[in-house]
Amino acid sequence: MDSTLVASAIPPVAVFLPLLGAIVGLPLGRVSERARAFGLGSICAVTAALTIALIPGVLGGAVYETYLLRLTPVIWLHLRVDALGALFGATVSVLWLLALVYSAGYMADEHRLGRYYAFFMLCLGWTLGVAYAGNLLTFLVFYELFSILTYPLVVHEETPAAMAAGTKYIIYILIGGSLVLLGVVFTFFLAGEQTFTVGGILDAGMNRTSLLVIFWCFIIGFGVKAALVPLHGWVPDAHPAAPAPFSAVLSGVMVAAGSFGIMRIVFQVFGVGLLAMLGVMPVLAGIAAFTVVFAAVLAVSQDNLKRRLAYSTISQMGYVTLGVALLGAEATTGALVHITNHAFMKGTLFLCAGLLIKRAGIHNVSEMAGAAKRMPVTMAAFALSALGMIGTPPLSGFISKWYLGLGILDVDQPLYLAVLLGGALLAAIYLLPIVYAAYFKPPPTIAAEDEAEGSEASASMLVPTVIASALTLVLGLAATVPGLPYSLAHMAAEGFFR
Amino acid sequence: MPEAAHIAYHPLPALLVLWPLVCALAVRPLGRWREDVRNGFVLFATGVTLLGAAALIPLLAAEHKVTADLPALIGRLHFVVDPYGMLFALFTTFVWFCATLHSLDYMQHEQHRDRFHTTSLVVLAAMLGVVLAGDLVTLYLFFEMLGLVAFLFVIHTETDEAKRASIKYLWMTVLGGFALIGGIFLTYALGHTGAIGPIPLEGGTETLRWVTFGLLVLGFGVKAGMLPVHVWLPDAHPVAPSPASALLSGVMIKAGAYGIFRTVTALFRPEVVEDLSEELWHMTSDFGLVVLWIGIATMAVGVTMALGQHNAKRMLAYHSVSQMGFILVGIGAAGYLGSHGAMGVAGGLLHVVNHALFKGALFLGIGAVAFRTGELDMYKLGGLWRKMPWTFVFMLIAAAGITGVPLFNGFVSKCLLHHALVEAYELNHMVSLDIAEKIYILTCGGTAASFIKLIGFVFLGKPKQEYGPGVVDSPPRMLTALGLLSAAMLAIGIRPHLILKGVFAPGLHEWALHADLLDYFLKNYFLSPDDLMSAVTAFAIGGTIFVVGIRFGLFHLHAPKWFGVDYWYQAATRGFLTVCAYVGGWYERYLAAFSRTLRTLRLGYRSTYLRIERNWRRIVVTITTGAPGPRNQHFIQNAYIALERERQSTVRYAVSRAHEWLRARPDTGPERAWATIDAVRDIASYMAQRQLSQRMSVLAEMVRTGEIEAVRYRFRDVLAQVRLFQSAVAHTAIELAERRMTGEDVIRDISAEVNRISSEERFDRRLRKAAGVSRPSTVRVQRLSTHAREALPSSVALMDWRVRGLGRFERAARWSVEIVRLIVEVTTQERSTWLLSDRLDAESVIETRRHIQRYARDMSFNMAMILVLMLMLMLSIAIGTNR
Repeated sequence: MDSTLVASAIPPVAVFLPLLGAIVGLPLGRVSERARAFGLGSICAVTAALTIALIPGVLGGAVYETYLLRLTPVIWLHLRVDALGALFGATVSVLWLLALVYSAGYMADEHRLGRYYAFFMLCLGWTLGVAYAGNLLTFLVFYELFSILTYPLVVHEETPAAMAAGTKYIIYILIGGSLVLLGVVFTFFLAGEQTFTVGGILDAGMNRTSLLVIFWCFIIGFGVKAALVPLHGWVPDAHPAAPAPFSAVLSGVMVAAGSFGIMRIVFQVFGVGLLAMLGVMPVLAGIAAFTVVFAAVLAVSQDNLKRRLAYSTISQMGYVTLGVALLGAEATTGALVHITNHAFMKGTLFLCAGLLIKRAGIHNVSEMAGAAKRMPVTMAAFALSALGMIGTPPLSGFISKWYLGLGILDVDQPLYLAVLLGGALLAAIYLLPIVYAAYFKPPPTIAAEDEAEGSEASASMLVPTVIASALTLVLGLAATVPGLPYSLAHMAAEGFFR
Repeated sequence: MPEAAHIAYHPLPALLVLWPLVCALAVRPLGRWREDVRNGFVLFATGVTLLGAAALIPLLAAEHKVTADLPALIGRLHFVVDPYGMLFALFTTFVWFCATLHSLDYMQHEQHRDRFHTTSLVVLAAMLGVVLAGDLVTLYLFFEMLGLVAFLFVIHTETDEAKRASIKYLWMTVLGGFALIGGIFLTYALGHTGAIGPIPLEGGTETLRWVTFGLLVLGFGVKAGMLPVHVWLPDAHPVAPSPASALLSGVMIKAGAYGIFRTVTALFRPEVVEDLSEELWHMTSDFGLVVLWIGIATMAVGVTMALGQHNAKRMLAYHSVSQMGFILVGIGAAGYLGSHGAMGVAGGLLHVVNHALFKGALFLGIGAVAFRTGELDMYKLGGLWRKMPWTFVFMLIAAAGITGVPLFNGFVSKCLLHHALVEAYELNHMVSLDIAEKIYILTCGGTAASFIKLIGFVFLGKPKQEYGPGVVDSPPRMLTALGLLSAAMLAIGIRPHLILKGVFAPGLHEWALHADLLDYFLKNYFLSPDDLMSAVTAFAIGGTIFVVGIRFGLFHLHAPKWFGVDYWYQAATRGFLTVCAYVGGWYERYLAAFSRTLRTLRLGYRSTYLRIERNWRRIVVTITTGAPGPRNQHFIQNAYIALERERQSTVRYAVSRAHEWLRARPDTGPERAWATIDAVRDIASYMAQRQLSQRMSVLAEMVRTGEIEAVRYRFRDVLAQVRLFQSAVAHTAIELAERRMTGEDVIRDISAEVNRISSEERFDRRLRKAAGVSRPSTVRVQRLSTHAREALPSSVALMDWRVRGLGRFERAARWSVEIVRLIVEVTTQERSTWLLSDRLDAESVIETRRHIQRYARDMSFNMAMILVLMLMLMLSIAIGTNR
């Protein structure tokens, strides 16, 4: 399909509107918590609406482009919204909106809310910037901004565990970020500053060693964020330490931002042809496959609920990288769809985990017995998302696994099918016992049964959870409706493999 | 496909699936409102579904296939109804209707009735979705839904037994689901498009085809209760409420059979055209043979296990396994015989229908018995035919059906299956198939024995217990349900032509198989003497088994645990979880070790850095202020700070003791108390000051004599020892304070006391006693510097030399000696002469001064270095420009 460049003000507005939210959050909070909730909520809703409003145009073949800043005659910061970016951007803003609404209830009795909301909104803006970045430099700027500014959210609780997790996080992320920077500089040295283009801005005429160095710099750099297995160390510590709404976006879209970066690199910096020639993708696929299985095995042996979910995130992001590494249109579609589907499924699971912590004091899997009697709506949402995670039709997890599976067969490597299904089976092993215990195991004490009534959380926490969970169903049942992830993912993947 | 022209689009199949789903939503609100309205509603819902399924008959009579689409999931859900699908839909809805009718009474004594009926309607929709699905994705969707939602049936009673069974059921279902989706994926690898139709023959390797086939059969087989993945079935079916058992055993396991049937006869077969050459069927033949043998094994094991059961429902569940074996034999024979497989298809599928009818009736009947008596153990019942005559009659009909009594439905399908087996044998005269035929007859005998036992123990004979007044015949709704099923059984048993000609003939024609075999069967074999004889043989064997079993107590034998596959499955599961936990533990340990290493590295780095810094400082200090002197001076300075601290602490201690002393005398007035405190402070200060100067002079003396090197590292210990004398000081101070306040001069007494304490303390002796070994290197350096100082001529001598007239060379030598002497003098100068007059009160001042000194020293050194470097730079530039 032919794309037409359209100049539009929507992308920069969508990126910078949340920054406005970060600024007005503090004075609004002085007025009242209610004012802040409504103010930030409406800003976030407008942002989400803007990102969604971009989708019809993108589906029609338009590419929105805006130049932000000219640093030197050859270095530009500019935003460019293609199908890939539009999909990720919409996912980010919608999940953020849900998490923000949830925060209003969840964070009510926490400390330092001004700081929390300011950084929460900032990170939304920067993450959208990552989604809409038009060239490597813009991407790098936003990527580093959101990676580093996430730190205050990770350590928000300020417990020793949170501080330790934050230190770990920042060390990992800084090392990854430096490698990305190295890659960007190297790319600039080889190819000059160029807009992301399908087919890549590097070409086979360049020094092979340099290309390999650039590739691994990027993969290791983004791999830290995308939690590829030897680089995943920060994920299982950061998630349990962070507040639940932030865990949800951290797991849902921030880790995915690493995978998103890998996609930009693979398809629009190197290009499919060049990578096939370099012969590095089988290695990446191997790493991703190992990530899927190893993280899932580790998840089985975790007792802390959020830690288990964090390992599950690592495993699921392995699917995305695997889908990219296979270099097939179907597999890429599956990987892209999985980013969105996983965002809402894992988002729901973390929001539920937060509710369980807040309302029932349940931190560990071993304490789940009888939770469904106390919090029926929460556990229903949890169960639905857990089933989705396993890939049960007609939930959204099935859609991504289906296209990934077809993609694996498309590139004729049926052995990865075992990884795909093995990971899903392990997901069943680490998620279903939780659901089972919540519904069918008797609560540990009679007292716990007595407080059954009224354990369910307030609407501001419950509604976003239920909506996220419902999205799991909708994205599955109506998967191929134009405008929903599949159409965009398909369009993007078709573009990459034209 | 030749029939492509006859495909009609009609929304009925899609509506059939959606209708129960929509109705399921209404169950809970209605149940909360009024139970009887809800009961009526679910009956109405299943009744409408039954009518809808019946409406497929005229539709299919007019067209060969009916299709429908729902826009959902990946594009659309596709439904295709052919005669086989219609048959499944018909008996499913019929048995469902009967079970629902039965459940209305039965569920009265169960909990969670709304959940039961909701589950029932959702599972009905899923079941219809499976059998009406037009492609594999749709089939998988409904198959998973069926398996997962039926979990609620299994766990319904929420007893411990039900929970154990349901966990096993859940995991087997999930595993089966994964095998199934894996198989479906691989059909795409074979070049398939996902429709329920032949996979292209040329796609993929032989291995891949076998793997695909294996995964599909395994996936469907778990649900079908196929050996060796049947282990969940005998646990799960008995623990459900009886109507649910009837549905699980009667209908839902048929979803698995349906899947295997389609796998063998629709997916792995050559394309659907008339008169294919026989070679094209060879693959189907191989697969069919595998399924056939699985079937034989399943039926034999199932019936053997059934004979050993006490619990009536558990026995029926094992018979479900066994009867699924019959069905698999039919499907396998159909595959093996290829285009001539009509007998196998008809036998297998007719047995599916029959089994649904009689197993449904048996579970409902046993359910009625349990409903009235509350007892399921066959050995504890008996003589119920008097109490429950109608139930007895219907159970008898159902038992006649399952054992294959002529004129009952089981007889027809068992004969068809038997003929299919014989035909399979006659195709290639494989000896193994002859054996299979013998096992088949034996299994029929075992079935007969088993049901003689059931009817005999439960309904005939003497009652083993006193039945209460509540034990009367079943309620009318239960009897109606049983009656409907019995009527259907009799109808098929007496007039099989209807279903054989009406359903199977068009179905076989649809899939391009030879349908004339069915006509041949009806004309020549149906109720022929040969077939009657085989039925009689089976009953004879059954009777023998029963008599021998009862006589020798064989029915109470149990195989050891490890004999069953269940044991090994559980061992494997435990093993797998152990491995997961082991990997997790190993990883945690690895992480811990890693972070330990990191910490060690960091500490090592820190200590190395500190050591380098210290040495650097030492070098700087040595160069700027001379080597050994500062070493002792440093010590003296620190010692002074420590002793000064000790002095202050002594005074504080004395004052606090004075407070205590005053507190013990509450009659002292405040003014007097203040005066006392002041006096104590003054006296203690004086004494402590004396102590300090004495101790300092001891140290200074030791420095002078060089003894200090030995005590340097023990000084702190000694200081801790002498702290004990604080109390002596405090004691004296308080004692003398009284006298001092009266205006008396006490200074002599104070001095005496200080002297006494000092002689007791003997600071110098304590120090010498504590003296350890000094560091040899420092001693050597010190000795060396002393030697150097002594060896060099004194300045007076040098002056003397200068006076005398010397040559230029001698003057240079003298100058350099003087320089060396100066350097030695400077670097070895003793600067430790600590003047007590320099005493500073606040230690912070001392510290600050030390810091300033150190800083100034460092800075000046650095500045000097910079100056030197700059000079060198200028020099090099000058040299460079000159050239």
